[in-house]
Amino acid sequence: MQLSLFTALALLVLTATGFLAGRTRALAIGAREEGRLHSLPNYHGYFVALWTGLPAFALLALYAVTGTMVVNTLALGELSRASEPLQQRYEAILATDEDHRAATASVERLEAEIRMLRAEADAIIASEGPHSEALAPLRARQEERLFDQDDARFVITSREAAIAGIVLEAADADVADARARAGFEYRRLPPEQRELFVADARALAFADTLASRDTPELRAAAEAFVPRQQALAWGVSLAALALAAGGLAFGRSRVTRQFRARNRVEWMVSAALMLASAIAILTTLGIVLSLLFESLRFFASIDWRVQDFLFGTQWSPQTAIRPGQIGQSGSFGAVPLFAGTGLIMLIAMLVAAPVGLFAAIYLSEYADSRFRAWAKPVLEILAGVPTVVYGFFALLTVGPLLRDFALFLGYEDAVTQSALAAGLVMGVMIIPFVSSLSDDVINAVPQSLRDGAYAMGATKSETIRHVVFPAALPGIVGALLLAISRAIGETMIVVMAAGQAANLTANPLESVTTITVQIVMLLTGDQEFNSPKTLSAFALGLVLFVLTLILNIIALRVVQRYREKYD
Amino acid sequence: MTDAPRPIADAVRQRLARRHRAEGRFRMFGVGAIVLAIAFLAVLIGSIIAQSTGAFTTYTLTLPITIEREVADPRGDMSEASLRRGSYNQLIQRALQAELPAASSRTELRDLFSLYSGLNAAPVMRRVVADPSLIGQEISVSMPVNHEIDLYLKGITVREDRQPGEGAITMDADGDEVRLTGEMPVFARFVSRIRAQAEDERQEALSRAARAQAQAGMAESRDAREAALAAERRAFADAERFETIIDPETSILLGARTASLLIGVNGGVISVSAVSPDGRTAQGSVLLPLESDAASSDWTEWVIETPPAARRVGDLQAIYARTLEERGLIDQRFNTRLFLNADSREPELAGVMGAFIGSILTMLVTMLLAVPIGVGTAIYLEEFAPKTRLTGFIEVNINNLAAVPSIVFGLLGLAVFINAFGLPRSAPLVGGMVLALMTLPTVIISSRAALRAVPPSIREAALGVGASKTQAVFQHVLPLAMPGILTGSIIGLAQALGETAPLLMIGMVAFVADAPSLGLAGLTQPSTVMPVQVFLWSGASERAFEMRTAAAILVLLTLMILFNAVAIYLRRRFERRW
Repeated sequence: MQLSLFTALALLVLTATGFLAGRTRALAIGAREEGRLHSLPNYHGYFVALWTGLPAFALLALYAVTGTMVVNTLALGELSRASEPLQQRYEAILATDEDHRAATASVERLEAEIRMLRAEADAIIASEGPHSEALAPLRARQEERLFDQDDARFVITSREAAIAGIVLEAADADVADARARAGFEYRRLPPEQRELFVADARALAFADTLASRDTPELRAAAEAFVPRQQALAWGVSLAALALAAGGLAFGRSRVTRQFRARNRVEWMVSAALMLASAIAILTTLGIVLSLLFESLRFFASIDWRVQDFLFGTQWSPQTAIRPGQIGQSGSFGAVPLFAGTGLIMLIAMLVAAPVGLFAAIYLSEYADSRFRAWAKPVLEILAGVPTVVYGFFALLTVGPLLRDFALFLGYEDAVTQSALAAGLVMGVMIIPFVSSLSDDVINAVPQSLRDGAYAMGATKSETIRHVVFPAALPGIVGALLLAISRAIGETMIVVMAAGQAANLTANPLESVTTITVQIVMLLTGDQEFNSPKTLSAFALGLVLFVLTLILNIIALRVVQRYREKYD
Repeated sequence: MTDAPRPIADAVRQRLARRHRAEGRFRMFGVGAIVLAIAFLAVLIGSIIAQSTGAFTTYTLTLPITIEREVADPRGDMSEASLRRGSYNQLIQRALQAELPAASSRTELRDLFSLYSGLNAAPVMRRVVADPSLIGQEISVSMPVNHEIDLYLKGITVREDRQPGEGAITMDADGDEVRLTGEMPVFARFVSRIRAQAEDERQEALSRAARAQAQAGMAESRDAREAALAAERRAFADAERFETIIDPETSILLGARTASLLIGVNGGVISVSAVSPDGRTAQGSVLLPLESDAASSDWTEWVIETPPAARRVGDLQAIYARTLEERGLIDQRFNTRLFLNADSREPELAGVMGAFIGSILTMLVTMLLAVPIGVGTAIYLEEFAPKTRLTGFIEVNINNLAAVPSIVFGLLGLAVFINAFGLPRSAPLVGGMVLALMTLPTVIISSRAALRAVPPSIREAALGVGASKTQAVFQHVLPLAMPGILTGSIIGLAQALGETAPLLMIGMVAFVADAPSLGLAGLTQPSTVMPVQVFLWSGASERAFEMRTAAAILVLLTLMILFNAVAIYLRRRFERRW
């Protein structure tokens, strides 16, 4: 870290030197030779600086991204080579172990049986539907096989552990080589613990963070990391500096009177600008691909029963699903989430649409410019307040207030976290979206339409209701659609104030859950990354993205059409 | 048209009045909508300010502590390792015990030591390690009292009333038990008060019983009926208990569900367990020893109205806290810890500093990524790009990205930055990258608007005197558009500063007790940001966190107002109308 920082500083200095070198050379040439330089001296300076800095910094960036990985691969390779004798001994003993062989065979046999049972079940489902009674005995038999398989797997792992213990003990006795033992230990670890092993070894090696444990094996592994890391860091630093020096020399040698430095530099600038605008596309691409990819993995893990996800009414993702279980469905039915999202969105829009619209009409049609000048920013503060603040307000002020009110009215099951509390507060949050978008739309209605209505003797409100509003309707619909998309994607208010229970209800006083709440619930706290439970969050994210995308596209289309009509 | 038929003119005139009324109504709706929205805002801000008030001060316990060598330096070699193993909490406990030697039994000591959190020993240790010459000396140590005691002293969680007693009382001690006798019905005020309270409670219990009965009548299943009947029985039992208090013949027994009566007299405190119905005598036990048993007319009637079962501060704790307060050892001060400490499990020690630094680091990353990339994209699209399908697609793309829910950006960060690139979880670096992607559309859209506002004549003039396209844009158009670009960027950053949801996805919800370091290394250390800190505290169960959450919100809002004020200033100062 220190070294690369130092290198980066040195490179900066070199780059500045490059600029000066290019500039002075161009000036010298300009003074010495006849005729004018093609480009200003500064452009020659930029050109040399680019040659000096760009390749070297690119190398440094490459090292920053991949350096750790390269060192890990090299060091672990070394450990693995060192542990080769232990590994061979281990494999030799394993091959002759009767229990292990028997258990492996039985796992394979059970696997085949389970596959047969599944095929049978699929055939029954295909012919008689998923609720056939013939499935029950199949399920029971499969369950039995799965338990047996677990037992056999347990035998395998315990035998392997025992043999590994024997091998390690023997290793302790004859070769006291901690490095070999470290490599052996690493090889036997499951993938998720390997990461921890590497992290601990690195922590011991570089002392930048605290290691979770400290064993001789880890120390040995750490020793394998240090020299490689150092060699790579020094190598990269020297290479970067050499590259910079070479670039400087090369760039400087190109500087002549006719050299078109400005065009080269400008070409680089426009390339950089293009790269910047590519990032917007890359972001969309990244969103779509990552959501699609993880969702596909989720659907694969629930056997492609996408319809169960989209139309199932039971949401309890905490239930673990064992691989290959027949007919274990229904726990990922997202309908309660869609219903909860819809209910809260509806309540929010019932608040935001009338208040926002009337506010917009008043501001654009009635208010004088002085009132407008302060009322509009004040309304916009509502949009600027962080959503977590609204969540806190909903949880601690609005929620209890509504609960007490409901209790007062005689509704006994009132709760603090209710759809109504979340919806009301969300509605308040959305008011400025509706009002400022509608305000723009209403302002875009040509004055001639209003003047026409006034000339017919209509009052102001009649003009608004019968002329301005119908004319602005498409735009207002667009504004409302954007507000709906905002309400659907809003997270913090519902996480804090709507509750987590996946109730399928239309009662606004009950607590409901939404798509966004479940995404947060599934992805915060401890998580194992490849479980269907975690992956389902991405499927929900995909639904959310597609839903809001459709709303946005329609809304933007409508608003744009409408603008064109009156422009 | 003067000879138009009268009836039509009349009809029109009549309708006109109605139409004007409709006009007025319509207008009122408009005013009402704006008033409603502004009222919401006022209630929102007002309720948060009201909730936060208790958080800005804290009761602080200041003790002279003697750093005894054998406790602070267990190995006796004055080495740092040895000093770090010293039991500094024991030193604080000794100092506290010296102040209140009356506390000697196990339960008394437990109550005494619960006045502060043991975590306060750490700063003492740091002081001693930094300056070992303190050993053997007496130093003054300030620490916040336990959050429940703090709330009690502020009068937020416990209702209590301390008044000088009227008339002399005599005390007959019998071991720890004391019999108090007044020369007149000195406890009459308390008796009438507790009876009134019991009467209210009884009514409440009876109405509860009636409700339960009605429920039992309407119950659909047997279980529900049974439950309702049980509730009814419980409510009746409650009502009966309160009746014994109201009964003017029997003496009043004080317990966990009635108010407490403490009598402060002769430098000690007696907890009353029973009062005679005429309010003349009372039975109690000594909680803080009396200096003498002499009769006295200078005593305090100390009523803690909130029953012990409903509060988290025991009588003894209350007595210790008040005693130390009277001696000036506990006093109310400005709560600097709220601003200077990082997060803690103990509300009285928790502060927003860690989250604040996390926010700064995250915002730095966001700014360094979003502003150059966003402005670059805007320049390219507005000034360089040919109007092709591709650029049209990019435009639609950016408009859509602006409306994608922020949590989706969090999912992107989790899947790409953390799982695919292997960047650390909970780190400001990743948080800043995610927020940068989220802010990008805002920056691009506002920068494009600013660039578009620069009149074409500027470009044409520059090109006309021989500047290249790049020179025209970078040396003439961009400087003129800069105020608009900066304003848009700052507003985008303010948005990112208040964003929570995407950061939850990438693990920035971790409990972080140490503030990340302000520097390059801090970028990859686990940390959290202000809005997430608000979210974390709002979920905490301690009452004291509630007001701290509100205070943290105020800090966050102040930051955002600052950001927006800078944006408005820039706009006002540099804006040019063409």
